[in-house]
Amino acid sequence: MFAALYAELHRLARRELARNGAGVTLGVTTLLHEAYLDMSGREHVAFPDRARFMGYASRVMRGIIIDYARRRQAVKRGGHFSITSIETGHGEALADSRELTRVGEALDELTTLEPALAEIVDLKFFCGFSLPEIAAMRGVSERTVQRDWEKARLYLHDVLCLR
Amino acid sequence: MSPLSRERWLALSPHLDAALDVAIGERRSYLAKLRLTDPVLADDLEQLLARREGLTRDGFLAHGLGFEPPDQGLAGQRIGAYTLRSLMGQGGMGSVWLADRSDGRFAGTAAVKLLNMSLIGGAGGERFTREGQILATLDHPNVARLLDAGVTAAAQPYLVLEHVDGAHIDQYCEAHGLGLSARLNLFRAVLDAVAHAHAQLIVHRDIKPSNVLVTGDGRVKLLDFGIAKLLDTAAPSAALTVEGGRALTPEYAAPEQMTGGPITTATDVYALGVLLYMLLGGRHPAGHGTTPADLVRATVDVDPPRLSSVVRDARSRRALRGDLDNIVARALKKNPSERYPSVESFAEDLRRYLADEPVSARPDTLAYRGAKFVRRHTVGVAAAAALLVLAAGLVVFHTTRVTAERDRAVHEARKAEAISGLLERLLTEADPFSQRTSTEPTVRAVLEAGAARIEQELDGQPALQAELMSVMGRIYGRLGTFDRAQPLLDKALALHRQAGLDDQPGLAQVLNDLGVVRRETGDLAAAGPLLVEAVAIRRQVLGPGDPAVAVSLVELARVHADSGEPERAEPMLREALAIRRSTLGDAHQETATSLSELALLLWRRGDTDGAEPLFRDALAITRARLGEHHPDVATSVNNLGLIALDRADYSGAESSFREALALRRRTLGDAHPDLAPTLNNLCHALRFQDRYPEALAAVNEAIRIIEQSLGNQHASIATYWMNAGRVHVAAGDGLSAEPVLRAALALRQRDFPDSDWRVAAVRSLLGAALGLQRRYREAEDHLVSAVGVLTVTAGPAGREAAAARGFLAALYETQGRADLAAPYRK
Repeated sequence: MFAALYAELHRLARRELARNGAGVTLGVTTLLHEAYLDMSGREHVAFPDRARFMGYASRVMRGIIIDYARRRQAVKRGGHFSITSIETGHGEALADSRELTRVGEALDELTTLEPALAEIVDLKFFCGFSLPEIAAMRGVSERTVQRDWEKARLYLHDVLCLR
Repeated sequence: MSPLSRERWLALSPHLDAALDVAIGERRSYLAKLRLTDPVLADDLEQLLARREGLTRDGFLAHGLGFEPPDQGLAGQRIGAYTLRSLMGQGGMGSVWLADRSDGRFAGTAAVKLLNMSLIGGAGGERFTREGQILATLDHPNVARLLDAGVTAAAQPYLVLEHVDGAHIDQYCEAHGLGLSARLNLFRAVLDAVAHAHAQLIVHRDIKPSNVLVTGDGRVKLLDFGIAKLLDTAAPSAALTVEGGRALTPEYAAPEQMTGGPITTATDVYALGVLLYMLLGGRHPAGHGTTPADLVRATVDVDPPRLSSVVRDARSRRALRGDLDNIVARALKKNPSERYPSVESFAEDLRRYLADEPVSARPDTLAYRGAKFVRRHTVGVAAAAALLVLAAGLVVFHTTRVTAERDRAVHEARKAEAISGLLERLLTEADPFSQRTSTEPTVRAVLEAGAARIEQELDGQPALQAELMSVMGRIYGRLGTFDRAQPLLDKALALHRQAGLDDQPGLAQVLNDLGVVRRETGDLAAAGPLLVEAVAIRRQVLGPGDPAVAVSLVELARVHADSGEPERAEPMLREALAIRRSTLGDAHQETATSLSELALLLWRRGDTDGAEPLFRDALAITRARLGEHHPDVATSVNNLGLIALDRADYSGAESSFREALALRRRTLGDAHPDLAPTLNNLCHALRFQDRYPEALAAVNEAIRIIEQSLGNQHASIATYWMNAGRVHVAAGDGLSAEPVLRAALALRQRDFPDSDWRVAAVRSLLGAALGLQRRYREAEDHLVSAVGVLTVTAGPAGREAAAARGFLAALYETQGRADLAAPYRK
């Protein structure tokens, strides 16, 4: 199951990157929706619901993004405008793949404590879903998601900046 | 506060939930109160809350990956003949700068786009520059000019565009409180600009409000013409240009941009349709707050609500209803070839509307629904022709409405509208086969109300009456409610024959549908001639290679197959398959239906190897076209189960049948006769695994369903009774087997002579049931008779023959007559 999803997301991400090279992009959220549409149409792949799929897929996506950042770092050349990340394209911020890796590790840690909080970070930070979208996906109030997001951020800040 | 330990975090977590919910103004008193009982907790929370403010202020993790603060550092840099002055915006494609002409030859400002692209250099850079120069030739007062395009020495691709100071068109309309005709006139200026570009073979590909600006003096300016194409051209991968590239902006993307189809001027027509919809309806056709997945689905699959239905105010609704509804709907067709063939024709319709002349866009409800229904409608009872005829009939109605007879036709038109509305609901709601999602079929009540209405309201219009009755009869047939279908179809046929309607295709349709209903209710003798006539009329009127001929051929073939004459059915099925392959293509649903029909016939004749690849091809087509929740998928899955059964893969067969059954229950409900064959097959798969109680439960459910829908004298129920008996026999329960088998025998003897293998097969089982009760004398009579008949009959009788011989041998052996048993053991 995981392997299939990883392969699927990777395929979509690669395609997206190719397009992104041309400044054309649908972004990670659309990517995940697409992956869901693709995979839910397939035999033997049954997710109980979209929310769980998205939660799961966003974790996979995080891995892909960090891998990608690492690889890209390795081949980076000079120039003002390097290619954008697979994100919807504000340029790229956490250019430093080491920093991304640390966020990933902190998230892994948070997953063992409060998996729901970690998932929000995957969805929002790595995949670009908005808080209202996440709330709708989970069928909870925006207020709840907002609170969880703030908690997750506090935790990550604690791990990343204070330790 | 030091870093939190895991334990401390877990302890704090629930309190943090509560604290985060406290309003800022009440926080002090909340913390003070907490401090009384747990000062450490209160301190920690206070620090965390303070830190939260800081994180929010700094935007920690707030912008998602890839956020980069706008780079102001490029100000003052020279790009071509321009000097960057200030950053105007930053987006997916790159950043946009306000720039001044710096060579002193012309005064003035421009917008410079710096594109986020890989270092395209080399040939890619040249192509980018060349394409840019082509776009730069686009010269129209409503198009913002592309002044220059190129790649800097540092390999930075850039575009220099005419700088337009204006508002997005939708915001402009709102801010100025523009009325309907002012909005339309503004929109026509947009069309004019797009038409001009199309004449130069330049497609915009990304029309949306933010690319359509209106300046302070009310002039429309389109931005970014052809930029999307330019970007694709410069893309390193050739595949991108071949595929046409993805939409830049999903909200305005046409279906073909979502699905990777070819991008043409029709793509712009669609985006213009979305724009007009928003300008007039005040919302996106897909509604508010749509998620990307819903958006993809809405764009590709779902018809947007009629424009007039989305506005609240009754006056606007009246203004939009009718022509503007139709105009927008035509621009928004899923199929590019059904949209306006050009932007000019779109503009022409708007001009006609404003001049109060009849427009070319037709009300799409019925014609479109009809076509759509036909597209989705797949299994045998297809009624493509009737719907097309019907659609044509109503289009005539509506056309008269928009021409000179307006006033006089008002009454008639209203009637037609009511009927078309009714039919629209019928077609989309009542037919479970027309729905992709797995909701229960409802609305029998709607059907019934509709039937009454056809009779009352259309009295004196036999042509329309006949057509509508035909459609309703067919829908009833599809719902398995044959007793309601038949009178409607009989009436339709009578109308055709008596009223002398000159409507041969319509007549053929009624004959076809009635033939199907007769066959399905077991009246094979009546079904045959009806279908023969349907085939003949269709061949003559539509030509021998018409898909409608294939439909009736398949139905007729089924009559032959049901009458035990597969050799007559096979050539008809092959002809139907050939027609469909040549007219509809190899991936069409009707082709799939033909494939599985033929496969089933081959399978029935024992040709498993010939049948299996046909079944698999059919399933692949069906799944790809209709998704998982379509009854046809269930049919194909069921058929694969039959193959597995043949290969003695009983658990494989069982899971196929269970899957098919679950699908059918979801789409057809629990009482539909189509459940019965699958239940019956499941019974076999379970019996072969010696799971007799489960097998019995399955076949008994099938019997109940058949009795309810067809009564207990229907020919097909004999099969189910026989199979129930078979399970009892296999379980060694001769006493329970006997009554059902006797009932089955009586029914078979009613329909067939004693020399028929179908009678003999029941006798064989009855003999076994009697043998199990030690009633050897009676058992021997039945078995000897059965073996006699079955041994000389070919085809499916072979299996039954082997069983009968086995029963007879066992019978003799139990009686100690091994010498008599021996010949049957061979």
